[in-house]
Amino acid sequence: MYNRGSRILIATLLAAPPLLGQTTAELRARADSLAREWRQANALADLQDTLRHLARRSGQDTISVGALIILANSSPLPLQEAAAQAWPVIERLYGPAAQAIAEHPIVIQAVDPDTAVDRPPVGEGLQVPWNLSIGDLTRLLQSRVDFGPVDPGLREWLGGSPLLGSDPAPRRAQVYVQLVTAPSIAVRRCFLGAVDACRDALSLSDAPDLLTRWYDPAERRALAMQMFHLRPGANQTRVLSCKSGNDSACLDLLASSPPGTIARPLDYGARFTLVEQALHMGGRDAFLRLLDAKPRDVEDRLAAVAGVGVDSLIAHWLGEIRAARPVPADLPPWGTWVALGWMGVFAAFGLGSSRWRVS
Amino acid sequence: MFGVILYSQWKWSRLIIGLGTVAGFGLPILSVQSAARTGDQPLQAGDLLQTIQSWGALYPVLAAALAVLVAIATWAPDHRGRHVHALSLPLPRWRYALLRFGAGLVLLAPPILAVLIGAGLATALAAIPAGLQGYPVALAARFALAVGVGYAVFFAISAGTTRTASAILLVIGALIVVQVVARVANVDLDLVTRLQILFVNWPGPLAIFTGRWMLIDV
Repeated sequence: MYNRGSRILIATLLAAPPLLGQTTAELRARADSLAREWRQANALADLQDTLRHLARRSGQDTISVGALIILANSSPLPLQEAAAQAWPVIERLYGPAAQAIAEHPIVIQAVDPDTAVDRPPVGEGLQVPWNLSIGDLTRLLQSRVDFGPVDPGLREWLGGSPLLGSDPAPRRAQVYVQLVTAPSIAVRRCFLGAVDACRDALSLSDAPDLLTRWYDPAERRALAMQMFHLRPGANQTRVLSCKSGNDSACLDLLASSPPGTIARPLDYGARFTLVEQALHMGGRDAFLRLLDAKPRDVEDRLAAVAGVGVDSLIAHWLGEIRAARPVPADLPPWGTWVALGWMGVFAAFGLGSSRWRVS
Repeated sequence: MFGVILYSQWKWSRLIIGLGTVAGFGLPILSVQSAARTGDQPLQAGDLLQTIQSWGALYPVLAAALAVLVAIATWAPDHRGRHVHALSLPLPRWRYALLRFGAGLVLLAPPILAVLIGAGLATALAAIPAGLQGYPVALAARFALAVGVGYAVFFAISAGTTRTASAILLVIGALIVVQVVARVANVDLDLVTRLQILFVNWPGPLAIFTGRWMLIDV
């Protein structure tokens, strides 16, 4: 039945000694050894990085005004003057928390704006053309201050770090327009003064039925159609059902979309104005409380920053936003006089000639 | 004297004024027709603003059309009659032209009033969402200024001599030629854009025509 070759193979397999697996202790020893090697390699890489950074920074100037520290290569960039203008603003905006930026110097790499030579690779600092004006450079420095790590929940909710601008009026005006025009029942109710709706619209609430609180059935249908109408995929039936007015089909569709893809009623700008409001109400130490490392909900954090309850904070915020209604007319205040002036000028041209047109 | 000139101009331009008045009255009402549906589904605020903005482009067009046509109608019969009537009057030219200019402005009042009344009626009838407001007076005032500036520009052009008109045309032609030559020679010279900025941006003479013409806004 078996040929000769097969018999030899079976005999060899039966005669072979059993293989000995490694013991747990041996395995642990090898893993520890690998971990040691890995740690050593990392330490060497860190050392190499540090040496490289030191080598790069050895030729750098250090500009220091207050807690604002700038490391930059030698260039005609007016960093000292810009820092002198930026620091008082930073100190006024952030209060005592501004001292924290000393631990995170701004690294600037001034580059020649006109040269055709390739610029050094980005990575070591911010590349700035050295002919930048003092005003622009001051604004740049104000926008680049680094307070170190921020609470991840706050960062995610805000879409970035809470860096303040000097004039909140334009941002509030933009939020006013959003409050008036956003296709969301929550936003409309918020504008009319419903604080709970504002909390929903600002994504402060983590209620499970947020979708139905953000949008009414017509808005949900519009949103679902916007998201799925062109690419229904496997949802063809639900898309048709939603289109014909079946709200549960629309809800199913929206619920099936990947997390974070459904448009939120108010954007990050609106949330940022709420943070600004909390900081404004919270006094000089407010930013310190905002940066507090203790993990907590955004809602609680903002209440702690403002020093009042969230409802009260939102009510104040809404008042400020309503007061920031943008001026709608495109005509500048002096536009009427300019137009009347041009009318007079052209009328004078018409009256001025002493001749009659005869052909 | 003014009454006679006004009457003669009215005869020449009544069709333009009549049509302009109807258009001026109808435009704001049509622009808010969607919002005026107070039934089950009025437009959302964002959609309403878009609709109003789209219709708003027609206000400067109407203003310019009225200005051009009335300015031409003001001088056309004089040009055709080789100014015999004007020369037979015991008036200096500037005074005669001033009477003509004034009569044209008076005749342009009905379309402006029509825009004011139409806009007022439209905002009163429309279901305006919370947070938005109607601006009928501001819109009508802007329309009046645009009509006035446009009329003055074209009145001056129509009142000028053929030589003046030729000179203006020559200057425009020369600018175009220079621009084309500069482009061919690869010279960094953008006269057209500069002139556009000069005329169309504030405080340029045509800036009143530009921007958003919103009957309803935030």
